[in-house]
Amino acid sequence: MAPQEFEVEITLMNKPAAKDPVGATIQKDLLAKKGYDMISNVRSGQFLRIHLKAEDENEAKEIIEKMCNDLRIFNPVTQNLTILKVSKL
Amino acid sequence: MTKVDINGEKADVEMTIDEYEKVRKLLAREPNITELGMFDVMWSEHCSYKSSRPKLRIFEDAEANYDYVLAGPGQDAGVIDIGDGYALAFRIESHNHPSAIEPYHGAATGIGGIIRDILCMGVRPIALLDPLRFGTLKNNPHSQWLFKYVVKGIGDYGNCTGIPTIGGEVEFDESFESNCLVNVACIGLGTIEDFKHAPSRAYNPGDYVILMGGSTGRDGIHGVTFASRTLTEMSEEDRPAVQIGDPFTKKLIIEATLEAIKTGFVRGLKDLGGGGLTCATSELTGDGDTGGNIDLRKVFTREPGMNSYEIMLSESQERMAFIVKPEGLETVLDVFRKYEMSFAVIGRTDDSKVLKVFDGNNIVVNIPAKALSESPTFKREEKRPSYLDQLLSQKTPEPTIGLDEIIYRLIASENICSKEWIYRQYDHEVGVRSVVKCGEGDSGVLRIIGTNKFIAASTGVNSKHCFLDPFNGVKGGLVEECGNIIANGTKPMAMVNCCNFGNPEIPESFWYFSKSVDGMNEFCRTMRIPIVGGNVSFYNEDEVKKTAIKATPMIMVVGLIEGQDNIITLPFKEPGNYIFLIGETKAELGGSEYHSVIYGLEGGIPPKVEEVKIKEIWDFLFELYSNGMIKANHDVNKGGFIITIAEMCFKNKLGAELDLKNCFDDHLRDDEFLFSESYGRFIIETKPNDYDKVLKLAEKHNVNIKKIGVLNSTPKIIIKGLRTKDIYLDIQKLRENFESTIPNLMEI
Amino acid sequence: MNIKIAVIQFPGANCDLDAIHVLNNVINVKTDLVWHNHFKEEKYDGVILPGGFAFGDYLRAGIIAAHSPAIEEARIMLKDGRPVVGICNGFQVLTEAQFLPGALLQNDSLKFACKWVNLKVENNNTACTNKMNLGDVLAIPIAHGEGRYYTDKLKELEENNQIVFKYSTEEGELTEEANPNGSLENIAGVCNLEQNCVGLMPHPERASEEIISPKGTIHGQIFFKSMIEFIKRRLA
Repeated sequence: MAPQEFEVEITLMNKPAAKDPVGATIQKDLLAKKGYDMISNVRSGQFLRIHLKAEDENEAKEIIEKMCNDLRIFNPVTQNLTILKVSKL
Repeated sequence: MTKVDINGEKADVEMTIDEYEKVRKLLAREPNITELGMFDVMWSEHCSYKSSRPKLRIFEDAEANYDYVLAGPGQDAGVIDIGDGYALAFRIESHNHPSAIEPYHGAATGIGGIIRDILCMGVRPIALLDPLRFGTLKNNPHSQWLFKYVVKGIGDYGNCTGIPTIGGEVEFDESFESNCLVNVACIGLGTIEDFKHAPSRAYNPGDYVILMGGSTGRDGIHGVTFASRTLTEMSEEDRPAVQIGDPFTKKLIIEATLEAIKTGFVRGLKDLGGGGLTCATSELTGDGDTGGNIDLRKVFTREPGMNSYEIMLSESQERMAFIVKPEGLETVLDVFRKYEMSFAVIGRTDDSKVLKVFDGNNIVVNIPAKALSESPTFKREEKRPSYLDQLLSQKTPEPTIGLDEIIYRLIASENICSKEWIYRQYDHEVGVRSVVKCGEGDSGVLRIIGTNKFIAASTGVNSKHCFLDPFNGVKGGLVEECGNIIANGTKPMAMVNCCNFGNPEIPESFWYFSKSVDGMNEFCRTMRIPIVGGNVSFYNEDEVKKTAIKATPMIMVVGLIEGQDNIITLPFKEPGNYIFLIGETKAELGGSEYHSVIYGLEGGIPPKVEEVKIKEIWDFLFELYSNGMIKANHDVNKGGFIITIAEMCFKNKLGAELDLKNCFDDHLRDDEFLFSESYGRFIIETKPNDYDKVLKLAEKHNVNIKKIGVLNSTPKIIIKGLRTKDIYLDIQKLRENFESTIPNLMEI
Repeated sequence: MNIKIAVIQFPGANCDLDAIHVLNNVINVKTDLVWHNHFKEEKYDGVILPGGFAFGDYLRAGIIAAHSPAIEEARIMLKDGRPVVGICNGFQVLTEAQFLPGALLQNDSLKFACKWVNLKVENNNTACTNKMNLGDVLAIPIAHGEGRYYTDKLKELEENNQIVFKYSTEEGELTEEANPNGSLENIAGVCNLEQNCVGLMPHPERASEEIISPKGTIHGQIFFKSMIEFIKRRLA
């Protein structure tokens, strides 16, 4: 089978036990003060949308995971990588 | 790891079984798990200095022997009286292990920690300096990654907190490939009154204990014990080891703390760093000879369900503990409210000399306040490494390429080239104090606004020299750092150090530490420079290669000068002026850049330091200064004095014609003379009509000095009078080589 | 005339004390440091939003500070023609609060940059440039990570004469090398239509004293003196 084009969306977030000063400040100094006090928690992170060629969804996912690990796209010491979705283009 | 059994429960602790027995003896019972964790952290190498303490006792007592020293070793920072009612605080420490696995946050939280140490002395942090070590950059993506993000971490944190990074130093060497060094230094300025207001002790029973700043989370629990072990025992998945920096909160903590101190109601102050609440509460009460009651339910936590062990040992960043007079409680809390800082009154001091910690109604810790600081010490074995003889006997090969080519290569080498790529990323001007800025002088010079005084600071050491001879290497570091501030016209006032070494349990590694301390001690006593603080980082050891880092006893020297007109800068000023080389050049090429860049050699005979000679040169320079005879000054460092001259030519686009005939001993080879890294040498610029006076003063001070050339406006350095043919160097090409190395390696 | 200026202290501001120092001790005009929640416009003839990292620059530089009560007070000053000035982070706040057009994006080098640059005066009628000449070149340092000026209304700005400063060479040439951050058309500072609100990325407070100026220039002083002159003319 010829390789197909996939789109993979990933987020890089600080691990749940780690601090996230950006999210905390947005929640405390902006949202809570402007009346959005129903919002109790905000976490920030980075989002990447990647297009690639792969045999199937699993391979696409594996390539992205390997790439993120090999190239230190995220640092496992402080961050988690989450693959949000893999879709065929 | 030691396995212990407490009340039927098994626990793994870092402490030895003997240390565990000592805990039982101190308490006269079994510790509970929280108490055990507290002892384990406080008795770790990082907190207790148990390997280094016995050796460090040879330093003289700075507070007792120098009337201007207000605080010496053992405090959060050294403090000196600089006159006009002002106190200057400074300290340097390491953040190596966290930075090696997460360079951005590791470096950032290193800056955060050193800022807190200075703030603890009651003064405003006004400058940062960062000496760094990495593996060589070329063809090494890992070193590039560490370097890039350490610099970014320092920049982002320092810039955001509004503290200028005014200097630093960096060396690249294979031995740091998996153990980079991130040393961070901070300088603080305040009035002597401010300093006296805020001791790191709780002297008075009945005062309130307040925790202020960031919330307490599960991050960093046992970070201290981690820093006292070698790295590869921990995998990158080991979550809690690295903290996330929050420079915004830190900035608010700085302002809130300084404003709280100004109320006059703060009676003690301590930052929460390694050891967290355990370290802060036990040292405040233990050192103050008081006791205290703390309620952990009052501590604001980031996650629900944290137990007493976790709260006492958490090393969450951006927290401070305050001891506050009862009548001033509301005033101080109002300051914290203004800055919208979280705070909690977590307890009160008493006269029990016991630290009692409650979880609601349950007592979870009940130990003598001083017990945690009474760690046992270890007498470590030391042994001179057997490989040194072979290294020291290495000979300098005969050059097979031209001397001009060697100079072009040296000036482009990673260790000599311009570090502008780094300091452009640091805000080095915020605070409007920076008079001599990064790249303009050998040291950073700051004005003290409202006075006629200026301070200078410089940091570094030559790790290659220390590897071959730690005793002379560390002295060389002191000569070099003092030389940097003297080149700017200032007088050395005090030094602090940060000792980065391998595993102290390995006799060869401990030997390096021991010899370095001996060298520091001898030099500082002879030259009358007080040692006002230090930090020790052991276990910088590559477990895979089974090698330690090159010994790096990092030095920071702080100097003082009065009068703007007395500040000397590096660039050559005027064509026609004379160039002098001060100090003796010897065949000391061991550990030189020449050996390493051109021949790939690490060995040879490294430079030695003779204090008498150094003293004579310094006295001579200060007499020239007082006569206004020096137009430019730059101390000779890596690569030898031609590199020094080239650096002085760049800014004002001048050139130099050198005639080295009769300038050096017959037994020296050309390359030895040009590339030697002998310590204590300077290149100065003087007016031609001062020639006789300069030589006369040199004779008076018994100083070796040679007029080696004249400045001109042709952008060339011409070197005549060598045994081999004359050398013609193009300033533009030298400058391109000097400036392009790091950008070429990093901007890809 | 008793002129009084306020420097707003947002949480995370860090050039506030520098601005206070220059205004009080060098320009000799009475200036108060005012905590952002405490600021009341009626006491002041002009306001400066200083450099720094208000609220850590989290989310986007200037955005959280733009929601501070101090901005509502400053809006009153903006409307009645008093000078509202933003330096560096203050400029970012003013664009986020939409007092000034455009936005400040991350430097094209992706790195923070601290260096002395040259600014060419493009409009000498504003609250901060009325004592300058068109085409003057000022030496003033920058220190920012997000200073790349961008607007999708360049033509409008040009037509309305809202471009105040451009990065240039020492000789006043608008070259690419002189542009330290990739700003559109080398733009370093802009003003509103009424010219009483000025924002710029460089730091005039760091260029107002000879002792900390590499070439001994004090061009930053003209910036603040223009602001005082503007107030005097307004009150006269």
